[in-house]
Amino acid sequence: MNPTLTIAALTIRESVRRRLLLAFVTITVVIVGLSAWGFDRLSHAHSLTSGESDLAVPQALILFMFMFSFVLALSASAIASPSISSEIESGVLMTIVTRPIRRTEVLLGKWLGLAALLAVYAGGVCALEFGVVRWASGFLPPNPLLAGVYLFAEGALLLTLALLLSTQMPVIAAGVIGVAVFGAGWLAGVVGTLGTTLNIGALRTVGQVGRFLLPTDGLWHAAIYYLQPPSLIAQHLAEGGRQNPFYAQGAPSWPYLMWVVCWFLIVLIAAVASFERREL
Amino acid sequence: MSRTNSAERAALDGAAASVGDTAVSLSEAAGSSSGSRSPQATASPAIHAADLSKRFGGTIAVNSLSMTVQRGEVFGFLGPNGAGKTTVVKLLLGLARPTGGEALVLGAPLGDRETRRHIGYLPELFRFQALLTAKEVLRLHCRLLALPKAAWEEEARSALETVGLLERANDRVGTFSKGMQQRLGLGVALLGDPALVMLDEPTSALDPVGRHDVREIIRALRDRGSTVFLNTHLLEEAEHVCDRVAVIDKGTAIATGSLDELLGRHSRVRLKVAGPGASWWSSLSRFGRWHRQDEWIVVDGIDPPRIADLIDELVALGARVEAVIPEHQSLEARFLELLSKR
Repeated sequence: MNPTLTIAALTIRESVRRRLLLAFVTITVVIVGLSAWGFDRLSHAHSLTSGESDLAVPQALILFMFMFSFVLALSASAIASPSISSEIESGVLMTIVTRPIRRTEVLLGKWLGLAALLAVYAGGVCALEFGVVRWASGFLPPNPLLAGVYLFAEGALLLTLALLLSTQMPVIAAGVIGVAVFGAGWLAGVVGTLGTTLNIGALRTVGQVGRFLLPTDGLWHAAIYYLQPPSLIAQHLAEGGRQNPFYAQGAPSWPYLMWVVCWFLIVLIAAVASFERREL
Repeated sequence: MSRTNSAERAALDGAAASVGDTAVSLSEAAGSSSGSRSPQATASPAIHAADLSKRFGGTIAVNSLSMTVQRGEVFGFLGPNGAGKTTVVKLLLGLARPTGGEALVLGAPLGDRETRRHIGYLPELFRFQALLTAKEVLRLHCRLLALPKAAWEEEARSALETVGLLERANDRVGTFSKGMQQRLGLGVALLGDPALVMLDEPTSALDPVGRHDVREIIRALRDRGSTVFLNTHLLEEAEHVCDRVAVIDKGTAIATGSLDELLGRHSRVRLKVAGPGASWWSSLSRFGRWHRQDEWIVVDGIDPPRIADLIDELVALGARVEAVIPEHQSLEARFLELLSKR
């Protein structure tokens, strides 16, 4: 087996035995179960017309998915931040990197293993939640697959950033910085939305710059776009296209997606270079 | 207890090698071919360092260290805490980069990936994946070493048996004591029949039985032709198993040689002799410096083979030799002496 795949398999095996997946799956199933009850109540509420209900369900779904995107981002940071630094501190890596394996292969293997776990979680969450909403209300997002892909991509970017930080920083510092950067990115997006709504150029610029510096909020809005039914977009347009943090006016542009890919590659290459240069 | 041979002599000569010699070795290594344990020329020393240096900011951890470890010998790397021993090991394994000098390991530059296939390493401070079983850890390292899959089972079994962990093969490493983890670490270092085994304080967590076992393993490694680089501050350990040692202090080798050479074991014999006669006093001078100490006569600077000659001569002169006690300086005493001179 390729050394990268060996490390990826090891990473997955350790995570599974650490009961990390089990813990996430348990919590997720409980939350999704509760949301099933909520969506059932919402879609059958006598106080809402069928039109209002058709708009309320997707908006509630977006809120739920925001929570899951937050959990995904936190999880990405939490599982990636100790992956290099704590193994250096404990000496686990000393026994690995003295074998005929490149450090690049070690780092890419860890990324691959953690990204696979993230993908399983993102895929599982989307499948469960979309299935539950469909069962309770009959609503299915227009493009559930792309919505899931963008949610995963958001977590994968944060995973890569946390891995980079982990090559040089202690576990707690890398984890805290990863989460703080994610929060700052989201807040910049909210500030940008406010700027657009209130027509304040400086605030709008903060949002635009924030989405380039850390594209997680941009990817979250891409996921939102594919969760919104045409009726919701039509309503927003009818209201003058007013922005809010849980609404996306359009699909992500190709140049922006290209930038996201570049951002990912830059951070990943920086992580590899940083780990290669690190003295153990 | 003399272990000195011609190879060691060559090693001693090589210990003074210059950076220029290193350059020659580098080109030899580059032109060598595979076939045996190591892809590098087996004629090259296991380790050759020339003016190897490592500086951390303003702190000099390793200072122009030059040494040669020949293939097939057990080489003790001794020094007090903080002398720079572990830093040297890390430099030799490519875990850290030297700030000066050069070194070759198994004839290849430091950190050479292919060469790592032929090196077994037991770090001083380490931990294995706590959630894997001992057998899984060994199989992981077999995989990383790219050993044929058909050999994994036997490699793992053999390593576990050697370090006395066969019965714990399927237990998770997280349940192991520190000593058991060290045993497992040694087992991992033995995988793939390494040409060079680097052991960094291998017995620090072991009980007396474990220490004895490690000594036996080291001897077995030497018997099968592996080179063992033993980094330790336990002098008794070195005295038991090492062919040659280097004493390092403040990042510099302050003495290198076989134990006999280092300890000067020819230095002293204590005699109890009866039978007066002024004639034999003078004959003592031919064997070394002598003086009386109570009822004993102490002869300093005598070669061990000449002790028998001395006794023969005393008997021939009519003396009755009642006791002969050769006195060896302990490694610890010599070690302290070396350090106190600095």
